[in-house]
Amino acid sequence: MRRILGMIGTAFMGAAHEVGGMLILTGQVLRYLVPPRLDPMETWRNLYKVGVKSFPIVVVTALLVGAIMVIQTGQMVAEFDAFGLLGWGAGFATLREVGPVMIGLMFSGRVGANNTAELGTMKVTEQVDALRALAINPITYLIVPRFVAIVSMMFLLTVIGNLTALLGGAATAQALLGVNPQLFYASIAEYLELADLMNGLVKAWFFGVAIAVVSCYFGMSTTGGAVGVGRSVNNSVVASAVSIFVIDYLLTWIMK
Amino acid sequence: MTEASARPRFGTRLLAAIGEPIVLPGREVVAIARVLWLTIYYAFADRIRWREVLRQCYEIGNRSVFFISVVLGFLGMILIYQSGFQAQRIVGDLQLLGALYVQMLFREFAPTITALMLATRVGTGIAAEIGSMVVTEQVDALRMSNAEPVQYLVVPRFIATVLMTVVLSCVSLVVAYFAGMFAGAAFFDINPRTFFNPTLLIWGDLYIFLMKSFAYGIAIPVIAAEAGLSAFGGSEGVGWATTKSVVNASLAITFLDFLLSGVGYVFFFS
Repeated sequence: MRRILGMIGTAFMGAAHEVGGMLILTGQVLRYLVPPRLDPMETWRNLYKVGVKSFPIVVVTALLVGAIMVIQTGQMVAEFDAFGLLGWGAGFATLREVGPVMIGLMFSGRVGANNTAELGTMKVTEQVDALRALAINPITYLIVPRFVAIVSMMFLLTVIGNLTALLGGAATAQALLGVNPQLFYASIAEYLELADLMNGLVKAWFFGVAIAVVSCYFGMSTTGGAVGVGRSVNNSVVASAVSIFVIDYLLTWIMK
Repeated sequence: MTEASARPRFGTRLLAAIGEPIVLPGREVVAIARVLWLTIYYAFADRIRWREVLRQCYEIGNRSVFFISVVLGFLGMILIYQSGFQAQRIVGDLQLLGALYVQMLFREFAPTITALMLATRVGTGIAAEIGSMVVTEQVDALRMSNAEPVQYLVVPRFIATVLMTVVLSCVSLVVAYFAGMFAGAAFFDINPRTFFNPTLLIWGDLYIFLMKSFAYGIAIPVIAAEAGLSAFGGSEGVGWATTKSVVNASLAITFLDFLLSGVGYVFFFS
């Protein structure tokens, strides 16, 4: 009994410690954002590294996701012979839910893991301490540029990803079900509202914030050499995935 | 030699820009196929250390149950919430929601989301573990004592991950189903008895479910092991290996999902 209580307590304290650390980091980042105090060159480099380098992987994922959604809804649509609803079904699922979540998971794998690995390596090789010794603030030099880059690029890449997902869906609808792209497009235009797109984009923005904070936090709290870097990357992607789904639930609940 | 003449000519750079996106992923696929082949070869060539497999099953399975349950529970509630509101708006009838939901869980969400979560939880773990062994030269030490690294390190993890992916997919199916049932009852007043409606399920759904989780279970450990084994450099190399593992595994899962969904559509559902 005492052991079980101890285990629950340890797990709870550990989680509270991590969440608290993340909140403190978020507070620090926000404090340096108004008015913006961040290294411009470093921000520019990070925007390129985060955005342009993730472009291919986001496009490929989005194409496949659009295609999968059409395949999955296609069967129901064919059953009820309601081909006019295909664009609605696939488009709704993609724009509002599956698109941002899948792009977010991909992004957390590509960018979040990379970010944690980089910061973790700097931490264990004492480069962060060296920055401090040179009177360079690690928050403004390392964290804020990454935060800005990840949040803005997640949002922009979701816009592109939504478009490519719909294109992939249209191509699959034509190839597999013989629904021509005009009908697919008309169905999207008829049944979907701007709110559906916006809903997905707001989610993407929040996912970006979550990925940025989680990956920076786990990177900066790395200890213990090469093994430690591996462990903190693992923790970072797991925490990002959980926070993506929890935030998704909360946002879905808040904005119907 | 000046700076300008050291730079390759425009034609060369153009060809390089076209070739790079083909050659680099191609090389990656070849490397992964090689590890897959070696793993299968050693799994049959020599006897398997079942004690180690069991330990890995605990490591991979038991320690992911909580994580998978949390994620899939939230996912189930989100799916019902979203599709319920849409169905109310367009179709105006929630009778079939439960039947369609369980079908979608079998075909798509239970195996795929579980696998994506395992790719992040288990895949990065394997890559980080093997990667740190590589950069600290423990793998070279294994080779020196005449133990094949793939056989010693990868085969037990491979068998354990394949088994546990199928098992955890079943767990996540159940969790997501009950979470959806709860959401249906809480938000739309759907009676759980109306919600429980397996009439639309066919055997094809079960085949697709098993095929998908099995395929993902093979892909995750092999891709992670390849990423770990190809690590080099110090702690930076381990970081790169884990990143590579999660990216490659997620892409492979999405691609396999597309492929198997297409196969399922053509063979079972049309």
